[in-house]
Amino acid sequence: MPMQTRTISDAARPRLAKGVRLQTDSTTGKNVLLFPEGIVELNETAEEILVRCDGHTLSEIVRELAEEYDADVAALAADVRETMADLQQRNLIELT
Amino acid sequence: MTAPRPYALLAEITYRCPLHCPYCSNPVSASLCEAPRRPQGGGYSQTHAQAKRELTTDEWRRVIREAAVLGVLQIGFSGGEPLVRRDLAELVRAAREANLYTNLITSGIGLDDDRVRALYDAGLDSIQLSFQSDNADLADEIAGAGAHQRKLNAAAKIRAAGIALSLNFVIHRRNIDRLPQMIEFAETLGAERVELANVQFYGWAFLNRAALLPTRNQVIRAREIATAAKARLAGRIDIFYVLPDYYETRPKPCLNGWGQRYLTVNPIGDVLPCPTASSAIPDLRFENVRGRALDWIWRESESFNRFRGTEWMPEPCRSCPQREIDFGGCRCQAALLTGNAANTDPVCEFSPNRSVVDEVLRDTNSSSSYRPDWTYRINPNGIR
Repeated sequence: MPMQTRTISDAARPRLAKGVRLQTDSTTGKNVLLFPEGIVELNETAEEILVRCDGHTLSEIVRELAEEYDADVAALAADVRETMADLQQRNLIELT
Repeated sequence: MTAPRPYALLAEITYRCPLHCPYCSNPVSASLCEAPRRPQGGGYSQTHAQAKRELTTDEWRRVIREAAVLGVLQIGFSGGEPLVRRDLAELVRAAREANLYTNLITSGIGLDDDRVRALYDAGLDSIQLSFQSDNADLADEIAGAGAHQRKLNAAAKIRAAGIALSLNFVIHRRNIDRLPQMIEFAETLGAERVELANVQFYGWAFLNRAALLPTRNQVIRAREIATAAKARLAGRIDIFYVLPDYYETRPKPCLNGWGQRYLTVNPIGDVLPCPTASSAIPDLRFENVRGRALDWIWRESESFNRFRGTEWMPEPCRSCPQREIDFGGCRCQAALLTGNAANTDPVCEFSPNRSVVDEVLRDTNSSSSYRPDWTYRINPNGIR
């Protein structure tokens, strides 16, 4: 449903999509996403979202990151929403 | 030459297979197919009698551990039909214990309830299930076996077990016009991912090229259909379309560069920079895991270093601004079409050998006498 992704709600809960695994690459020490025939190295925003794919809502993720990074909430929310939409379009996360 | 770390291992655990697909990329002359003798342990020793036998469970366990230490993050269990090996779930478990992402590439034949359960319990992350068509009669004709219904049963079992499911279609002249139906079929089966891969001409597919290569009009239409489906299904099903490279003007970035990201271990333990290299490049000598550590083979062996980087490149690649984008294309294709694996892939419009590809395309697109007959893949010796 591409229409939904443009307006991800504050209450949306991201989960790793089926067959997608978040794992530390022992060679680099960084987190990567693994899926069939694919490996994605993560930018900071994506990583912060993905480690919270355990029932956190979008607004909870934004609040946590705002505290952690002392960042502007509106700008952060836009960034998180955009990254989440991208991950969802690529079938790496599901939104429930 | 400094070797980078590899990301993925393709474990071709057997060349035995119940299907006879004429587009199979396995070596036509595979005589490497006898089942392993009773377990021999995981050491490096070998005898002459062992050399042409499939690796044992313990030997594969050792390969998997060595691959993980080398930096590999993903393993694909392939073949042949990997389910022919009764120890498949044990190998999956070994790979998960080494923290690898595990992917099974299968025809689905032999995937009964017990084996799905065993694979799930072993921690298998994903299954790529091949289909020859959405249409049962055509699918069975292509497979050379009554396989389609059994694949449907396998898909249902995979769904029920909750394992991620990709459908893999190899696209060629006889099924390319059914692309819309194949995509619809994948939607109906509830796959997460669909791979629509135009046939690449190696092994049996090279032998059967005249029967398999689609026409230009078919290719143009298929690309439009795949592009539209990718957009329409974004966020629901990931559509992965592999181009038919003979119709391109620049070569595919084969393997993301030779010896850069991938390695393949074949059923008898030869370590290959590319799964088709053993048959396509006869003058390349491959090392075997029974004789050498994987780390040494990856970093030091002649076969992995021969085409690593850009030093080996002839013109027009050597001075080409694309040389680190497409890496000169595919070494196997250069060998098969020009007789020299070090030549520029003749798909490239700047290759002095491009006419070889153009002649093939001319035959395919001008001939009014297309004969859809092909040679079915013959199964290797030693099947039981």
